[in-house]
Amino acid sequence: MKNKESVLQVIKETVRKHGVLSAGLFAAVCGAVIFALLPPLILAQLIDRLTKNHTLWTGGILLYFGLLALTGFLESARESLLTVFGQRITHALRSSLMEKFGRLSANELNRQEPGALVSRFVGDVDTVENLFTSGIISMFADACKILSILVAIWVTNRGLTIVLIVLLPVLFLFTRYVQKNMLASQIANRRAVSRASGHVPETLHNIRTIHCLQKETYMEQQYARYIDDSYSAMEKTNFYDAVYSPVILILNAIVVAVVMLLSASENPTVLKLFGMSAGTAVAVINYISQIFTPVESLGMEIQTIQSAFAGMERINEFYSLKEKKGPAALTANTDYGMAAELKNVTFGYDESQVILNDVSLQIKKGERVTLSGRTGAGKSTIFKLLLGLYEPQKGKVLIWGVPSVDLTDAKKRKVFGYVEQSFHMVPGSVKDQITLYDSKISNADVKRAAELTGLAKTIEALPYQYDTICTQDLFSQGQWQLLSIARAAAAEPEILLLDEITANLDAETEKMVLNALQRVSKNRTVISISHRTMAETGRVIPIS
Amino acid sequence: MKDETFRPNRVLSYFQEEWKILFFVTVSGLIYNLGLLAGPWFEGKMTGKLVDLLGGTGTFHQMLMLVTAYVVSIGIVQVSRYFKRFYVRRFANNVNRHMKQILYGTLVRKSRLELEAEGTGNVLTKAILDVDDCVEGMRKFTTEIFDTGVALLAYACMLLWYDWKLALLCMIFPPVSYVIAEKMKVIVQKTGAAYKVQSGALSAATLDRAANAITYRVFGCEEDRKAAYEKNLSAYENAAVRANIWNTAMPPIYRIISMASILFILYFGGRNVLHEGWTPWTIAVFTTFLSCYTKLATKSSSAAKLFNAVHKAQVSWKRIKPLLQNSEAEPELPAAAPAKLSVDHLHFAYPNGKEIIHDLSFEAAPGQIIGVTGPVACGKSTLGKTFLCESPYEGSITFGGKELGKMEKTDRNCIIGYLGHDPELFHGSVEDNIRLGGKQGAEEIIRIVCFEEETKAMEDGIHTLVGTSGVRLSGGQAQRLALARTLYHKRPVLVLDDPFSALDKKTEAQIFANVKELARDSIVILISHRLYLFDQMDQVIWMDEGHTKVGTHEELLAEVPSYAELCRDQTKGGSNDEK
Repeated sequence: MKNKESVLQVIKETVRKHGVLSAGLFAAVCGAVIFALLPPLILAQLIDRLTKNHTLWTGGILLYFGLLALTGFLESARESLLTVFGQRITHALRSSLMEKFGRLSANELNRQEPGALVSRFVGDVDTVENLFTSGIISMFADACKILSILVAIWVTNRGLTIVLIVLLPVLFLFTRYVQKNMLASQIANRRAVSRASGHVPETLHNIRTIHCLQKETYMEQQYARYIDDSYSAMEKTNFYDAVYSPVILILNAIVVAVVMLLSASENPTVLKLFGMSAGTAVAVINYISQIFTPVESLGMEIQTIQSAFAGMERINEFYSLKEKKGPAALTANTDYGMAAELKNVTFGYDESQVILNDVSLQIKKGERVTLSGRTGAGKSTIFKLLLGLYEPQKGKVLIWGVPSVDLTDAKKRKVFGYVEQSFHMVPGSVKDQITLYDSKISNADVKRAAELTGLAKTIEALPYQYDTICTQDLFSQGQWQLLSIARAAAAEPEILLLDEITANLDAETEKMVLNALQRVSKNRTVISISHRTMAETGRVIPIS
Repeated sequence: MKDETFRPNRVLSYFQEEWKILFFVTVSGLIYNLGLLAGPWFEGKMTGKLVDLLGGTGTFHQMLMLVTAYVVSIGIVQVSRYFKRFYVRRFANNVNRHMKQILYGTLVRKSRLELEAEGTGNVLTKAILDVDDCVEGMRKFTTEIFDTGVALLAYACMLLWYDWKLALLCMIFPPVSYVIAEKMKVIVQKTGAAYKVQSGALSAATLDRAANAITYRVFGCEEDRKAAYEKNLSAYENAAVRANIWNTAMPPIYRIISMASILFILYFGGRNVLHEGWTPWTIAVFTTFLSCYTKLATKSSSAAKLFNAVHKAQVSWKRIKPLLQNSEAEPELPAAAPAKLSVDHLHFAYPNGKEIIHDLSFEAAPGQIIGVTGPVACGKSTLGKTFLCESPYEGSITFGGKELGKMEKTDRNCIIGYLGHDPELFHGSVEDNIRLGGKQGAEEIIRIVCFEEETKAMEDGIHTLVGTSGVRLSGGQAQRLALARTLYHKRPVLVLDDPFSALDKKTEAQIFANVKELARDSIVILISHRLYLFDQMDQVIWMDEGHTKVGTHEELLAEVPSYAELCRDQTKGGSNDEK
């Protein structure tokens, strides 16, 4: 087990694991930068030959195109490798996040909001991927590009280099200014847009009130107002979007004009800095137009990196959540006479609040007991302790003589069948509901479990029987509860835990459920919870 | 501003309506795209002038003139580019808003039943989302007509003018790259679709793992699930690489193919300069031709975008077209005058359902308050909804002698005020939620529903936003706000379904007294399962499994044992209920 996980750690490991890929990527990035510099230099030579009325040398022409093509191929290779590399990293990150999720303590597990978790696993990890595919690496490439162009210009036209060194920071600041404002208005726009689109479902939901109070026209005006809000936010984005490129291109033209003018100067000192041949002039114009694009990209990359950092921070927060204790993997001895035992157990979900205070109880093998008591007395808490979700603060919780937290997953599957208060549907077929995707449970086992609960007929009447894909309205509430019992019974567990399973059922369904339980409980230790005296079976253990 | 000839289901109508903006776009678009030629032309001229200068035939002054003209023309071109971009987007915004409003107008006037049946509500909601795609396509079409169509044509003409043979030779390659891109599109779409499927599967798997975490842990399935998730991740990775690699790796390749023409330009162009080729060239023409071609090659790669945009827009347009119809705006009518309400042998059942109301008759005069109660699921809420005539009833309900079910919807809405279980609040302030555009102030009503103190304590008083569907309010607050809204829009018949269920007894009694005072000339039908106010009712309707009994509180106490029992239970256990 790695002791300190973080996004950086995972990235480092991925780079190490895929050494060839990483090296190839590095080579492609550098190669693309270097080879992009050469074509204008060759072009300059070619043009200078032409001005001197020399025939163009075929080798030169081919070399020029060859270099253009090579640059293109290198860029293509860089992008491909980057895609693969980015995906490797997201895969590794998600794997490690899932690993962590499996180790979370039950408390943290309960605290995770499913929607938020999905956005952590999917959205935030994607921003980290962007950090590579359109952040750091392209930023490096762009910075190299700017530098190398500056060097190339230094060789051909020193004066221009100085002009550019002065100009580029200003340009960069302008770029950032525009991008920041654009981002702000985009966010404002998104908010306004979501308000406007939220208005539609709200209308559908409140349609009765709208009609009753004759507010159709009012609602229409309201909608128009929301759209207008998003419209004016968008207008701002449009302004910045429309103004940026023209400004850059005008600037581009001015720089070209200045260089041209100065190279035409009659002053020898100016000429020393700016003087150039026609070929060089073409190359310089080419370089100038090349240097403005990376500046713009640089600004976008900074933005990507910023949002990626926010995502990374959230992922690292997740990594720092509390973990459960790993099971000591002790083997339970089912010959031990006591199926479940609480020895002087004191427990509360946090330090300050004690729910169980020095509770002891014993449940023998094959016995049927009902834990009874008022709401909040700690009946469900005892279940959670028995299931090994929590560790007691004081005392011992034993299953077959072994602390419940020390049972491994494989053991748990054989020991516990847990019927929850409400059914948790998993995505998949009816069979999957019963097996929880456990391939060790055979089709015959599934069928037997269904028959035991009296659901077999209902299931066999479905279009694809056990392979019918489950939807929320496939079964009635009582039938779901029966399915829940089938799920608990399928792995042939030794202990059945029933958590207030008839609470939400009508009398007739309740009878069906209780009959099913009767059949399933044979030869098993059964522990149930009930608020109502009529549902009590076997020995009653009062919890107060 | 509505013009008579506007037909919402014709695309052309939208273009026509925005003709002023489009005219502006056309002018600036033409200037910009034709002006693009100025760049290469001037660059060539300047290089030529530099050669002259170095050869001693040009002057600094000539260069200055050239350079100034260059900057000015680029300036003009770029400023028109700004206008073009800005106004194309404004055009798109206007059309977007217009279409959405038309769709929304249709949606808000559909009846509840229509919206629920066949998912019409969903269809309209989706259509509103489709508008974005459709308008985006219209915008791109408008943009690309200039940026691709006009610009390509201009560049091509310029090349042809300088040397038509060489130009034709060069123009072989861009179409080649375009054809390859078009062929690749099939793969791109296929892998893209596969990627979408995998990314959906991954989200679903993550959600399942998160939502059923405890179940998996308790059943000892966590290791299994982790392995399954790993499989999801691998499938996702493969699909993502396959889908993205085509998008990222191919554009440089297309560029290389288009740039192959450079070979011809350098070779034949070079001969031209040396006066050995088809057309005698200067070095200036040579550089112009070269940079002009480079620009054409870049532009031609976006020709595909034009077709994609149009295609996408067509698909969404087809979906929304049948839904775009003008709807008539109707004015808000004032509440009807007070009159007598009489219900005579009323029967009600939902289509294909069992009878919920069986033979109910009663009469009510303005100022009366009628309580309706019964055990859980006895149909008291259905009785309330019957007055809305959403589904047909049997028997008769008349107001002022007129049959409710036979009235126009607008007339009925002037008579019946209804407040259901769901407060149906709107995003907006407390005040907005009550007035919904009404002119009168809301303060008085807020006092009546005992909501004054709490609103004062809110951060912006009555202007505090309540959030979507009122999420920021507690249940009791939402209930009182909804009641205030109903009372603000007072009608001669007010049907209130359990308006006090989330309130404590004292507040309930206070509000009840206020409502009684306010609704002196209205008939109030109060549906409730709490009975301690029922001794103040003028009549009580008891409902049980469709059967009804009407009488005064005392009569029912004497005649209906279950009613008496319910009353007794509540007054005895009442003290526990107090908050």
